[in-house]
Amino acid sequence: MVRRTVLAVLVIGALALLTISFRSPTSGALHDVQGAGASALKPFQVAAERVARPFRDVYGYFSGLAHAKSENAKLKREVRQLRSTENQHVIAAQRLGELEKVVRFEQGPSFPKDFRSVTTTVISYPSAFTQEVTIAAGSSSGLHIGTPIMTADGLIGHVTNVTPGTAQVMLLTDPDSSVPARDISHGLVGQVHPGQGGTLILDRVAKALQPQKGDLVVTQGTVDSRYPDFYPYGLPIGEVQSVGTSDIASYLTVQLTPFAHFDSLDVVIALIPTKKR
Amino acid sequence: MNGVDGVKAAILLFVAAILEVSIFSQVHVLGGIPDVLLVTLVAVSLLRGSIFGAVGGFFGGLLVDTATLGTLGLTSLVLTIAGYWIGRYGETTGRDRAHAPFTSVAVVTVLYSFGLLIVHFVLGERAPAGSIARGLLPAIVMNLILTAPVYALTRRLLRPRVRGDYATEVQLLG
Repeated sequence: MVRRTVLAVLVIGALALLTISFRSPTSGALHDVQGAGASALKPFQVAAERVARPFRDVYGYFSGLAHAKSENAKLKREVRQLRSTENQHVIAAQRLGELEKVVRFEQGPSFPKDFRSVTTTVISYPSAFTQEVTIAAGSSSGLHIGTPIMTADGLIGHVTNVTPGTAQVMLLTDPDSSVPARDISHGLVGQVHPGQGGTLILDRVAKALQPQKGDLVVTQGTVDSRYPDFYPYGLPIGEVQSVGTSDIASYLTVQLTPFAHFDSLDVVIALIPTKKR
Repeated sequence: MNGVDGVKAAILLFVAAILEVSIFSQVHVLGGIPDVLLVTLVAVSLLRGSIFGAVGGFFGGLLVDTATLGTLGLTSLVLTIAGYWIGRYGETTGRDRAHAPFTSVAVVTVLYSFGLLIVHFVLGERAPAGSIARGLLPAIVMNLILTAPVYALTRRLLRPRVRGDYATEVQLLG
């Protein structure tokens, strides 16, 4: 009974204080009493604050340190994300440039007649063992073995294996690659093979002919319809860089600089014949 | 009510209230704030019963409201009920249990937080239930960390009563 009475008195007292204080929070007798009480408590608060200050400073130091560490980690994450985004933008810009070149090539006069193009990307790159790449288009896009593959700059090779969704491309830099080609400036013909240091060699060129540095070399195309070539006539391969010969050699060795950049292949074009060959 | 115990409890609660408003209220960990006054009130209430708890809660709340120039009676009201409730628990079920201070602190931290929230809401003041709820778990953890030393100190000052001093819940008839 006493307990409940005490509780009731205290609760009523608290409610009374609450009501009065709430009704006149900035004036009145209760406010004055509160102000006096606050003034009386102030020295204790100040003393407690002063005693606690060194501890609080230590706490603040470590808290700030922890905050700085977490902020540092957060900022590093943001930098990584931004760097990644920037890289994506750079890659997208590069790809856009390549696609623009591809479009210009497809709409340009050097695009072979009776062919349509399938634009795709390289999805695996040459290894130390093979000079082959895999591209993201296959038989479902019309590719088949022998389909010429090029970039907007020039020929890179032909398809040697195909699945519905992908195709394997043997590059001109593969030791087994051999492409009949023609120097259109002087009309000489030969076979393009891989050379040293990323160059190509046009060999089996008759000694009597005199190719010049800078001559444009393109694919020879089909000469005899009984033996159709993979490549149509006129696909750019490279330009003559130097001409070599020796007294005992039967042919000239013409070194070419390929137009295609084999070390940075990305967007490529497959040339699909529109007429049955 | 023993007068000496009353003075000791008053000093304890006074110191706790000053520490709370001057120091502990600035300690924010994951949105939670430790409440040394509440923990001290729980210790006093468990050791001295419901009347001590209710009076101590009223007194401590009044100190806090005065020192912070808050609405007088607001904290008193909630702490009075909290002190009484914990005192009754100490007088009956929790008197011999070692975990009683910890259980009481955990439960009363929740009830006290929501009690204050409700009073603020009823008064039409800002009642941020979301932030209170988010800070509740850290507050409970910090209050539980404070419980052992505060209870040990309070127990040294306010020796536990002998068994006969406790109120009984069961009335024998006949």
